[in-house]
Amino acid sequence: MAQRIALHPILGVPEKGRPVKFTFDGKTLEGYEGEPIAVALKANGVMVHRYTKKGHQPRGIFCAIGRCTDCVMVVDGEPNIRTCITPLKEGMKVETQYGVSPLPFEEQGCPSGKKGDGDETV
Amino acid sequence: MNQVNDRSRDIGEFVPRPDDDMVICRCEEVTKGEIRKAVHEGMWTVTEVRRYLRTGMGLCQGQTCGKLVKGIIASELGIPQSELEPATSRVPMRPIEMKVFAKEAKEADGNG
Amino acid sequence: MKRYDLIVVGAGPSGLSAAVEAAKRGMRVVVFDENEKPGGQLFKQIHKFFGSKEHKARIRGFRIGQQLLKEASDVGVTVILSATVIGMYQDKELVVRIGDEIHHVKGDSILIATGASENMVPFEGWTLPGVIGAGAAQTMINLHGILPGKRVLMLGTGNVGLVVSFQLLQCGCEMAALVDAAPKIGGYGVHASKLARTGVPFYLSHTIKKVEGTDHVTGVTIAQVDSKYQFIPGTEKHFDVDTVCVAVGLSPMSQLLKMAGCKMVDDPKKGGQVPVCDERGQTSIPGVFAAGDVAGIEEASSAMIEGRMAGVAAAEYLGFMEEAACSREEDELTKDLDCLRQGMFAPKNKGKKIDKTEEGIPLSNTLLTKGYLADDEVEAFPGFTHRVGVHPVIECTQNIPCNPCQDVCPKECISIGDNLTALPVVVENAACIDCGMCVASCSGQAIFLVDEDKGDGTAEVTIPYEFLPLPEKGTEGYALGRDGRKLCPATVSRVRTAKAFDSTNLLSMRVPREFAMKARFFKSGNAADAAGEVAG
Repeated sequence: MAQRIALHPILGVPEKGRPVKFTFDGKTLEGYEGEPIAVALKANGVMVHRYTKKGHQPRGIFCAIGRCTDCVMVVDGEPNIRTCITPLKEGMKVETQYGVSPLPFEEQGCPSGKKGDGDETV
Repeated sequence: MNQVNDRSRDIGEFVPRPDDDMVICRCEEVTKGEIRKAVHEGMWTVTEVRRYLRTGMGLCQGQTCGKLVKGIIASELGIPQSELEPATSRVPMRPIEMKVFAKEAKEADGNG
Repeated sequence: MKRYDLIVVGAGPSGLSAAVEAAKRGMRVVVFDENEKPGGQLFKQIHKFFGSKEHKARIRGFRIGQQLLKEASDVGVTVILSATVIGMYQDKELVVRIGDEIHHVKGDSILIATGASENMVPFEGWTLPGVIGAGAAQTMINLHGILPGKRVLMLGTGNVGLVVSFQLLQCGCEMAALVDAAPKIGGYGVHASKLARTGVPFYLSHTIKKVEGTDHVTGVTIAQVDSKYQFIPGTEKHFDVDTVCVAVGLSPMSQLLKMAGCKMVDDPKKGGQVPVCDERGQTSIPGVFAAGDVAGIEEASSAMIEGRMAGVAAAEYLGFMEEAACSREEDELTKDLDCLRQGMFAPKNKGKKIDKTEEGIPLSNTLLTKGYLADDEVEAFPGFTHRVGVHPVIECTQNIPCNPCQDVCPKECISIGDNLTALPVVVENAACIDCGMCVASCSGQAIFLVDEDKGDGTAEVTIPYEFLPLPEKGTEGYALGRDGRKLCPATVSRVRTAKAFDSTNLLSMRVPREFAMKARFFKSGNAADAAGEVAG
């Protein structure tokens, strides 16, 4: 589980919003209001934000500034939300994204991920 | 004529390499081998490879892979990277939902 | 459609600086930034900046950010946040997403100050959660107060890799190693030395072979590469880490300029695709300017000057100031900028092989490959002198434009002269009063106060210390050498903190006399337990 910094030698005590509850794949977790969703997830030990469409490979935080779009998840029912720059709000429903869906691949009818090779037709 | 436009130039056969499975375009999950193969199939520019394989056409619009894809194409063609045009830059520069893209703000002067 | 005299895209160091200059001259200025907070990367930079007073040297990046924001609000600059410019068209029209709407705005002049994006290098496992950009690490720790992991391996030894590694140490992460495919450390030697003396190893001519883990990083294997960057079999080394950080350079984020039709050029010395600009930052389209990293990768200090130059130039372009006044200001700013663009790390020297300082002293090879000065190499430099009584020992061995040490010493013990890149010299017969300002002000943490003989068989060494917990007076422990090895027992004799030191604490330790010129870091604990081991 990732550790929050209680006291920083240069920056002092990090400024945080009020504690709020949100759900991740149905589990209730706690984070601070206004911090990026990705940070709240990290503080709760969540590393995998999504599984890719073709290869079903796990992805998480990569650039943390909204550029790389690797950390996207389904938030309040909407897919492809960049969790590293989307502020956490009370009661948010955050779900792992499989392809572009919150449903695991088995439930989407594509159980095994094929690594993205051999796709020669366009 | 620069070397990219000289399509009669022989760049040899596609030779598989051990790292061909490595994903280069993280969004569209395009591998190094696919990009190298595309060059041998006649895609000699970043734009051609992009249309052919969708490299850089995913959510991030090539933020991460742009330079990498360019490097792979250049090395496959045996030319310096600077000879390749980077991919065309287009609106929108960041991921945006279509419903937002289509929603012009109403301005006082009506010239939104 | 709203119309402004100047539209700035990007509220980082260059964008804000330009907005300030333009607004000061009566222009109607708006700054758009896609982030929730202004300041660009400045608020993630917690180290003290290099340069001279004019460049805000020895001030920490985030404080410079605060100053700049205040300056902008004082002159009435409007900064619109969470405003993403998604396109730039002919006739200086911008399309901006604000909230859930699209706005079209027009500027009579436009400054693109969008900064840079991080380069990446692919390796087996690079898509696994736990592999992150160095910028991501910096964002997590300095903006959001969370550790990216417990144990980190850094790929890349440019200034970003070095500075972020130190920040990771400061907030409590362990650094397993710094790795670079290049044969030499790319960033400032002083930044590398801050890490090496705490015991962090450097592996040059090495790169990542494989990152291990099924759904997140559990380890990494590196291996040595030959001169053609091919792996040398049998040289693999494994590290148990949960985070791999990648810091392999930056690329200008110049897409908007390309989209608008500015003439572009691929310039490796500037980091990639950059607009062709005149000396004031104007692109091939009159009235469209570029400043900061988007026009060529450099430091934030130069970005701020470039921004000011572009702001002044935009004011002149639209008739808000006379050409003569503009020229005068531009000349001043050009001088400041030129000062920063000197020395061995100057953009013009990128890729050049340099093996001697300007003074003709051979560079330390150990510094370039392992991150520290070997005991026999450091003696050759002019800041390293032996004196009776307390005196500064300056382990600054590369020509970097920087002079706070000369500025802050009340007794003029340290001299750099007018040439900002000259190595600091300890002035003969000057009377050091042990105030510690030089130690606290050196942005490279390369100055130590040493009293080589306290008369009881010990010496006192004062080091800059920016970690927690801060040891108290009387704490027993051991001293580490420049190479991070445990040297000898040490006792903390004094700990000084002061507002003027700006969070750099001065820790003084007593060590046996023979280690006076070798002991450069302190760790608490029992020295006897692990004598001779590599610390950390």
